[in-house]
Amino acid sequence: MRKILLILAFSNLLTSELILEITQGTEDPYRVAILKFEGDQKVSNDIDKIIRNNLMRSGEFNLFVNKDLLSLPNNETEVIFNDFRILDIDYLVIGKIAKDGISISVVYEIFDINKGKKIRTSTVYGIPNKNRQLGHYISDGIYEEITGMKGISSTKILYVTENKNFNLIVADADGSNEQILLKSNDPIISPTWSPDSKKVAYVSFETGLAKVFIQDIATGERELAIENSSQVSSPSWSPDGKFLSLTMYQDGNAEIYILNLKNKNLTRLTNHYSIDTESSWSSRGSKILFTSGRSGSPQLYELDLKKSNARPKRLTFEGNYNAKGSYLPNSEGIIFVHRSDSNFQIAMKYFDESFIRPLTDAQMDESPSISPNGNVIVYAITEKGMGLLSGVTLSGVKFRLPAKKGAVREPAWSGFLR
Amino acid sequence: MLIFKNKLGFIVVLIFLSSCTSMNITEENVYSDNVKTVEASSESLESIQYNNKAVLTNATVYFEFDKSSLTSRSLQILKSVVEALNENLSVTVTLAGHADERGTREYNLALGQRRAEAVSSYLYLNGISKDRISVKSYGEERPAVTGQNERSYARNRRVEIN
Repeated sequence: MRKILLILAFSNLLTSELILEITQGTEDPYRVAILKFEGDQKVSNDIDKIIRNNLMRSGEFNLFVNKDLLSLPNNETEVIFNDFRILDIDYLVIGKIAKDGISISVVYEIFDINKGKKIRTSTVYGIPNKNRQLGHYISDGIYEEITGMKGISSTKILYVTENKNFNLIVADADGSNEQILLKSNDPIISPTWSPDSKKVAYVSFETGLAKVFIQDIATGERELAIENSSQVSSPSWSPDGKFLSLTMYQDGNAEIYILNLKNKNLTRLTNHYSIDTESSWSSRGSKILFTSGRSGSPQLYELDLKKSNARPKRLTFEGNYNAKGSYLPNSEGIIFVHRSDSNFQIAMKYFDESFIRPLTDAQMDESPSISPNGNVIVYAITEKGMGLLSGVTLSGVKFRLPAKKGAVREPAWSGFLR
Repeated sequence: MLIFKNKLGFIVVLIFLSSCTSMNITEENVYSDNVKTVEASSESLESIQYNNKAVLTNATVYFEFDKSSLTSRSLQILKSVVEALNENLSVTVTLAGHADERGTREYNLALGQRRAEAVSSYLYLNGISKDRISVKSYGEERPAVTGQNERSYARNRRVEIN
C-alpha cells in the first residue's frame, strides 16, 4: 500500500497514554463487530478497551459494539449472518474468558460475514495481571486474520527521556507499560534492538566519552561493545544477530566498522576524510546504508557487502541534508531525515521511483524507526522546545506520544515478539 | 477443476482448494516482559582532570552550520590558548566539540568531533604536544543555550577548551 494521505490536526492532552486522534483513515475501512467478551468483567473491560484502541490506531477499521447490533450471539450456532449483512458488517469477533485461579485464557472466534462462516479460532494463554498483553495478542490475531498483515500491538518501542537525568525506556507500542532500562546523569542516544528483541545497544556518555553498550533487557547485564580509548557510536545489529555495525573515531574521524560479536574482530567498512556514520543493515544483511559527508553535504549511501572492494553507491540527490536512513522491512526503499528549505522532515524513497516522498511536515523531525510490518513509522518531533514522539501510518493515520514530564526522543521499534 | 495436466498446475489447484477450506486455529502464550533497571555509574573522567588546569586555557570557539573550519576570530582565540599552554607546560587541555540541534544526532556527534579535531590540529601545528590534548564530542547533547533560533544555534556550534 503506497498511498500517503494528508494529515491534519491533533489533540493536545498531556498524559503518557497514547494520544490518538484519527485525522484521516483509509477510505474503505474494514467494518468489524467485536462483541464484549464473556466471562470475568474486569478482564473483559480491560481487553475490550485495548483491542479497540489498537485496531482504531491502525486507521483501517470501523468498529461496531453491542449496542449497534441486531443480535448478540454467544457462540457459533447462534450467529445469524443476515443480522450483520444488513448492517454491512464484514467480520464478527466473539470471545470467552476462562479464569482458573490465577491463570487466564481467552478463546476468540472470527466470522467472515460475507462468506457466512467462521475463519479463525484462537486461544491465548495470559499472565495474571497482564491483561494488556492479552489484549495486544488478541488484537494482533484479529488484525492479521482480516488484513493479511502481521499486527504490531504486541511489539515494543525503546526511547530516551530527559527530565533532569536521562532514562532509556522500553514500552508497549502504544506507549503504555513503560519500564526503565537505564538511568543516567549523562546523555543516551541511538538505542537499537537486537533482532531477537532480547537485548538493546545504545550510546551512553557516562564515561565522559561516547561509548556503545550492549544490555540484556531481562537481566540488566551490560557490557561495552568495544573496550578501547576511541569514541564509539551509532550501533546497528545485523539481522542474524552476529554482528554490530558501529562508528569509531580512532583516527580522529567518523568511520564505520563491523564488529563480530563472538570473537570481537573488527572489519573497517569506510575510509574517507569526511564523516561516515549512521549505518544500518538491509533485512537480509547483505547491504549497509549509511550517512556520508563525502559529497560536501550529508547524503545517504549504500554499500554492497557481497562484493569485495565495492564502492558506496549514492542513493539521495534531492536537497543538501539526507541522513539517518534505514531500510523498509521489505527492502523496497528507505526512510530517512530530509531537509527541505530550513525544515527537517521524515521522508521515504522507493528504489523504483526517482523522487522522494515527504511523510511529515513539521520543522525538526528526526530519528525515524519503522514497525516490523512496515506499516507505521515512529519519529521524534520538537514542539515548543520540547521533544515528543509522533507516528504516521502508511494509510495516513497520525498519532503522538508525549511524556508526563520532560522530553522524549530517539524511538526504536522492536521486531515481532509473538 | 482438474484441467491442469502439469505438476505445477496441480499444486496451484491444491493450494487454492486448501485456502478455501482451511480455518485458522492458533494457540499462543503471551510474552512475559521482564525488565531489569540499571543505573549508570557516572564516574566521569572530567572531574579528575579539571584539578590541574590553569584558567588561562579556558576558551570557546564557534563554527558555521555543518562546518568545522576555524574562523579568523577562532584563530585569534586559539593563538592566546597556545601562548598560555607554552607558559604552563604542565597544563593539559580537553577539547569538547558540540553541534546545534538541527540535523541528526549521530551526524552531529561526528561533526562535533571534527570541530574538536580542527582545534586539536591547530594546537599541534603550533607546537603543542599531542599528549597534552584530549579530544571528544558531545554532538548536540550538551547545548550551551536552549532556544530554536539562529542566535542560540550559533552559540551551540562550538568547541570548549578546558
